[in-house]
Amino acid sequence: MTRLTGTRNRLQQASGLEAVLDAAYEAFRDMLGAIRAHENPAVGMFAAFVMAAAAAASGRDAVAFAPSLPSHQGRNPPAGGEDQPKESAERTASDAADLSELLAARLAQAAGSASHPGDRAACDQAARWAREIHDLLAGSGS
Amino acid sequence: MTGRAVFGDFIVAARRHLGSPGSFREAVGQGGSVPEISHSLLRIVLVMGRYVQDVDIGPAPVPGQGGPALTGWDRAGAEAREALTSAAVSLYGDPVGGRRPGATAGSEIVRRLNAASASLTYGRDLLHTHLARGPRGGRQLRSEWGEVITAPPLTWALLAEMGSLAHQLAPLGPGLAHTPGAHGSPEARRRLNAACQCLQNAAASIRIAQRHEPVSAADRDLLHAVPINAVPLRRLPDGSEPVTTLCEGVTATAERARHAAWASSMQPAWSPDMTVDSLRQVAAASTVTSHHCEILLRSLATRAGGAPDGFHARLLQAADAAGRTRTRWLHIVHALDQVTTDTQGLSQTATAASDLALWSGRLAYCDPQWTLASKPSHQARPPHSLAPEPDDIPRVTAAIYHACDTMASLAQANRKQIRAAARAERFLVPTESQPGAFDILLPFTPASPDHIDAMLTLYQFTSKASAEAADTIPAPGHAIIRSAANARRHDASGKMPNGASAKPGLVPEPWHAPGPIQRTLRGLGVTNPELLQRGADIDRAGEQLIIDATTERIPQPERLSAASRGRTTGTTLDDPARVSGNPRTAALLHRKATAQREAPEAEP
Repeated sequence: MTRLTGTRNRLQQASGLEAVLDAAYEAFRDMLGAIRAHENPAVGMFAAFVMAAAAAASGRDAVAFAPSLPSHQGRNPPAGGEDQPKESAERTASDAADLSELLAARLAQAAGSASHPGDRAACDQAARWAREIHDLLAGSGS
Repeated sequence: MTGRAVFGDFIVAARRHLGSPGSFREAVGQGGSVPEISHSLLRIVLVMGRYVQDVDIGPAPVPGQGGPALTGWDRAGAEAREALTSAAVSLYGDPVGGRRPGATAGSEIVRRLNAASASLTYGRDLLHTHLARGPRGGRQLRSEWGEVITAPPLTWALLAEMGSLAHQLAPLGPGLAHTPGAHGSPEARRRLNAACQCLQNAAASIRIAQRHEPVSAADRDLLHAVPINAVPLRRLPDGSEPVTTLCEGVTATAERARHAAWASSMQPAWSPDMTVDSLRQVAAASTVTSHHCEILLRSLATRAGGAPDGFHARLLQAADAAGRTRTRWLHIVHALDQVTTDTQGLSQTATAASDLALWSGRLAYCDPQWTLASKPSHQARPPHSLAPEPDDIPRVTAAIYHACDTMASLAQANRKQIRAAARAERFLVPTESQPGAFDILLPFTPASPDHIDAMLTLYQFTSKASAEAADTIPAPGHAIIRSAANARRHDASGKMPNGASAKPGLVPEPWHAPGPIQRTLRGLGVTNPELLQRGADIDRAGEQLIIDATTERIPQPERLSAASRGRTTGTTLDDPARVSGNPRTAALLHRKATAQREAPEAEP
């Protein structure tokens, strides 16, 4: 199981707005670390990885502005940028695409159920970034 | 430059309408109604007067009241303004000479004067698409060209044009005096002669300034190259475009992005358009665009193999420079991971920068449907497809030049935005940390001066690298494009973004000045290209060292948490008025207060 599939499982199991936000924050953050490790111009998908990483950082920030995001205590440590990626670029792209697809769905769902307008806006915004990542890494344009 | 009208079209047309001195004399010799000629001359004098009034000159010193005397071009401008006003006063107030609009000119000279005044009016209108008057009468810029037009070298070039026209028109009065076919009252003739004497005076004042401080041909050419301020409409490729159209698309999109960048850099510090999302998008897209530029330049170098005059080697140098630009942008991309802003969303600049990455990608790869999301199987466009004939190479190099030049503008504009946002405490970093946590993003605090300095340094080097890549691209026949870009890269104060002072002329100096080693070598009279190249390499290595050190200074999550804890007190966002007033800020402050209640921050 890769780091991103673990993150995906946590997101899938998250229940309630606070838990979804918490898992979403970690998902964006972990994707950012995993994607950054593959930003190598010598290999394919350089453009997709660079753009997707920017989207992941923006998605993370969008969630961070949600008033209901719980305190950081107990949150898993970040994956961080890896000097030597453990997975292939294709595998990372595929895992991140899957994760972002789920992320978009969970955030859209959370936006629908949130009562605080700040939470709704944050979830909507973050869901858009998740869709952007999915579009970039699922290779819809190829 | 892009097929749009330029100022030169109109000033050259005005001259052509008046004709050569011989042909002008001939037209004068055909005579005509002196009042009608005076009226037509008045129209041309009025528009010339407006041009001169547009030039920012201090008020002329009042005789007997002291004050510093004007010198050089300032004096020429003031004297020309006065002379043209006097000429207008002499010609004004003769209703007999007025013609109804659309009425046929009564003589050849009237026809010429009318056509010339119309061209001059259109030319001034074109310049004014870059400028506007603010609510208090002050001048406001509408485009990045506004700074170029209002810089001294171009205002001098404009005055020189007016002096030349005044010189061309001045013989009109004396010429008519000896023309049997000219008819008009002695008073009308006297007025016309007086006006022509004033034109002679204006021409003389400007000629004196020209003698002491000549306007360079390059500055005159640059004035002629000022285009009408019309930003190309947004257009995305549909996959059917041939290389020629893709080059045009890159150029037009680069222009859109440059204009959007300039406009964003003119916005106030509180502008909600200044978002970290936009900064990230611009940096990521520019990383990709510079990557495409490198691919394209290497492909062109292959195509140009065996070309004379080191053209092939220069293309490879340019490709290396584009590669360095990509590395610089990537540094920024990574640095932006650690910051945020109090507003989110994408600006027009960010969208245009992404469009540029798409257009340049379509040019760089063979797949006509290539997108930023394409899988790794895409192949670079073969050299012969990029430029079937050697003559096609300049078209592609020009497009790449525009892309690189735009990236320099984007970096410069974003740098300006960050500096402004930092002053307004809108450039934020995560501060709060608890044991066991690694990268808590809440709450945020304004980035420290060190952090801001580090970011600004990265942008500065990136802008410089982008400009260097642009200037290394061999683009025969595009001297004016380069001149315009160099001129734009100076800010209104005449300072270059790297802090060096601009030369009085806008054109000759490339924006990226040589580094200290290269400068020293040149100062020693070294001309050996190999030694100069080694010097440049050492300068570049020094620059890289500074960038590495700068990147180190940008706090990483783990280090940030520990390092910033001590700075948190007193710098938190406890005053909503200090940030943008965005609802997010309220949420953020609420979170901060809650977090503090739940887990009081440890004393440093």
